[in-house]
Amino acid sequence: MSDPRILRDPALRPTSTGTGAVRISGLSKHYAIGGKAMTVLDGIDLAIRPGEFVSIVGPSGCGKSTLLRLIVGLDTDYDGEIRLDDARVAGTGLERGLVFQDHRLFPWMTVAKNVEVALLNQKLPRERRDRLIAEHLALVGLADFGDAYPYQLSGGMAQRAAIARALVNEPKVLALDEPLGALDALTRVKVQAELQRIWMEAGTTMIMVTHDVDEALFLGDRVVVMSSRPGRIARIVDVDLPHPRDRASPLLHRLKDEILAELTREPREDDGTLVSFPPRIRN
Amino acid sequence: MTPRLKPAALALLFPALVLGWWEWESRQSAGHAYAFAPLEQIGRSFVDMLSDGTLLFQAGASLQRALTALLIGGSIGIAIGVATGLSRLLDRTATPLITTLRQVPILGWLPLVALWFGNGDGAKLLLVSLSAFYPTVLNTQKGMQAIETRYAEVGRLYGFTRWQALRLIAWPSALPLIFTGISQALAFSWIATIGVELLFSATAGLGTEMMAAQVAARTDVVLVCVACVGVMGFALNQLFGLLRARLLRWQPPIRN
Amino acid sequence: MPADNPGRSRSSPLSAYRTTLLRIAPIVTILIAWELAALSGLWPRQVLVPLEQVGATLLALASSGELERHVSASLYRLTCGFLTGSTIGVATGVAMALSRNVHRLLWPSFTCVRQVPVIAFIPLLILFFDVEDSFKIVIVAIASFFPSALATHDAVRDIPASHREVARLYRLPLASFLRRVILPATVPQVLTGLRLGLTRGWLSLVAAELLAADSGLGQMMEMGRQLFQIDVVLCGVIVTGLIGFLLDGSVVRLERRLSRWRTA
Ligand SMILES: Nc1ncnc2c1ncn2[C@@H]1O[C@H](COP(=O)(O)OP(=O)(O)OP(=O)(O)O)[C@@H](O)[C@H]1O
Ligand SMILES: [Mg+2]
Repeated sequence: MSDPRILRDPALRPTSTGTGAVRISGLSKHYAIGGKAMTVLDGIDLAIRPGEFVSIVGPSGCGKSTLLRLIVGLDTDYDGEIRLDDARVAGTGLERGLVFQDHRLFPWMTVAKNVEVALLNQKLPRERRDRLIAEHLALVGLADFGDAYPYQLSGGMAQRAAIARALVNEPKVLALDEPLGALDALTRVKVQAELQRIWMEAGTTMIMVTHDVDEALFLGDRVVVMSSRPGRIARIVDVDLPHPRDRASPLLHRLKDEILAELTREPREDDGTLVSFPPRIRN
Repeated sequence: MTPRLKPAALALLFPALVLGWWEWESRQSAGHAYAFAPLEQIGRSFVDMLSDGTLLFQAGASLQRALTALLIGGSIGIAIGVATGLSRLLDRTATPLITTLRQVPILGWLPLVALWFGNGDGAKLLLVSLSAFYPTVLNTQKGMQAIETRYAEVGRLYGFTRWQALRLIAWPSALPLIFTGISQALAFSWIATIGVELLFSATAGLGTEMMAAQVAARTDVVLVCVACVGVMGFALNQLFGLLRARLLRWQPPIRN
Repeated sequence: MPADNPGRSRSSPLSAYRTTLLRIAPIVTILIAWELAALSGLWPRQVLVPLEQVGATLLALASSGELERHVSASLYRLTCGFLTGSTIGVATGVAMALSRNVHRLLWPSFTCVRQVPVIAFIPLLILFFDVEDSFKIVIVAIASFFPSALATHDAVRDIPASHREVARLYRLPLASFLRRVILPATVPQVLTGLRLGLTRGWLSLVAAELLAADSGLGQMMEMGRQLFQIDVVLCGVIVTGLIGFLLDGSVVRLERRLSRWRTA
């Protein structure tokens, strides 16, 4: 890839053509639980630049998945506004993709067919479609597994196939819901690097939820820290380092301490759901 | 006895005892030999029926009847199952009707069908098809209703049309249950075929052959037919199992 | 997609009422169509009997005691056959699951014979037993033997090995092992097998009675057929269906009660 300084500022990136900007303002979301309205998200304001990588961390149940579902339009019942390049989001659309927490590959289709699912409603000539599929399978390192069924893949491979499916139709915005949560530490580091490479090459706007603060800092241009009940943005941390980053960078370590402090400052009035962090803290 | 031999020997012991007892009974008196046909005679009948083509002919007739009915009853069952699985209104209206009708044992319809449609091949086919219809319609319906939201959401994400969602998500995810329905239907239609052939004086078929043999008090022929019915039912089931494994190869192999 | 419909399970008294209406609507429609067709005179009355005549015949059969005779004959055979068949079945299932030698002795033969539809045994049994009760009781017994033996075998075999080891550890005598460990762990699955056995028994009994009997619901229908009395045949169909429904329903209720007791 080219000069890291170009990559540092998303606005300067050659691939970012000025589309893929997400503007969330005054967003609130309620769920009815047992007849009572429960506020899951409250007053979320967030502006995401085209081609930016935003990480979201926050205690379990604070509404991270809900936020992503709203952004991609799987759920349209909310107050406030979500705009993609100035058009209000009302339902799903091919310009917004999502990688689910569980891979959700269709078990009855081969990996290649699963990737093709994302292209079905795009008018593409056959051979271009096949080429795109092959390219994206190669991108996630599954070139030889196009004919495999999902049950024949490992958890990490399935997750990578799901990433290929999400990328193949080149959405302007890609939301990722703990895409690497199910992976072991080693695979995780590898897929993180792959994800970063893909992001740098494709220039897609990415919004990734993760439980791993290291991961959030390693990949994100900014890290959004959320607090729970109701889900709010507690803080937004700028990570002012060029990509790809050195995991040992002292800045990352300082920011990590800050974020962890922010997260643990959370009042613990209820059931302790907050303690979902310690799992993968590495040094 | 070596330990490796023991299971096989035990497995053979029981049939050997039964056969021995049978042979012993057949030698008690002429009257006994009437019901307990000597083993040798059973064997001879088998060879005769095989060599003069009776067995093949009758078995073929029954098989053809069962499979035709499976095709008719099964496809109608799948079609209605898909429809009722997708439409709540249809489900609420048609399903109670089907479950009500299902309470009557298949062969219980026989006198009525005989009066209305006579006892030709059409009437038999109707009953056997009905027996194949119930399991396919109920399983298909269950399969179509069990569409997982997880997968439906992927369809929405990629802008699936209703038809795409049906063809690419609902149908394949219902397929394992549909196959379960078909394999039950296969067993049911085989049973019903033998049943209608026994009860309706059919033109051909293993059931007809058995009934004729019973009237003529030919235990040996009856037994050959019983064995043939059992072996064929088993073989059909196994063949279908292979087909199923081939068509549903996206499922992880079932551990046993 | 039906799954996206959030209001699916909502139920108000009004919608419950509408559901019932929807449920019986097609049945009522068919009955009305039937009646209209019968009254239209397009088919001979003998072929398409008006409903009121079916009702009248049912009442006549009931009040003359004929229906009771047939029903009790059928139920008597069903009860005897089912009790015999399922008792032997459960015992065989337990024995095959607990003892490796019994399993080796019986399992191959069991699997072989199980492949034969029970109805196919009818001609054979006619040759061996008299045409009246015993032959039908045996048919029902065979029909209920296989499902109950199979279900019991599977249920007992699926009991975790640890349960058995604990029992061996505490040197539980066989009787209390059966009662304390095997019974509670297997009840639901065995009941499912018994239910299947009952249904199959009923089906085979009706078939056997159609073929050869001088009493019983099957015989009543067969006589109706021979005398071209469609109303009698229809009464038979209705009563047969009703009995099947009640039998199945009572086992389901038993299953539910026992499973509640288990979870409580
Ligand atoms: N369909 C729903 N109906 C009612 N409440 C819901 C629904 N989905 C989520 N919630 C509630 O919304 C809150 C946020 O859920 P969400 O899945 O967004 O959390 P999350 O931050 O992604 O948690 P995790 O990190 O554990 O995945 C939870 O308290 C949950 O109870
Ligand atoms: Mg989540």
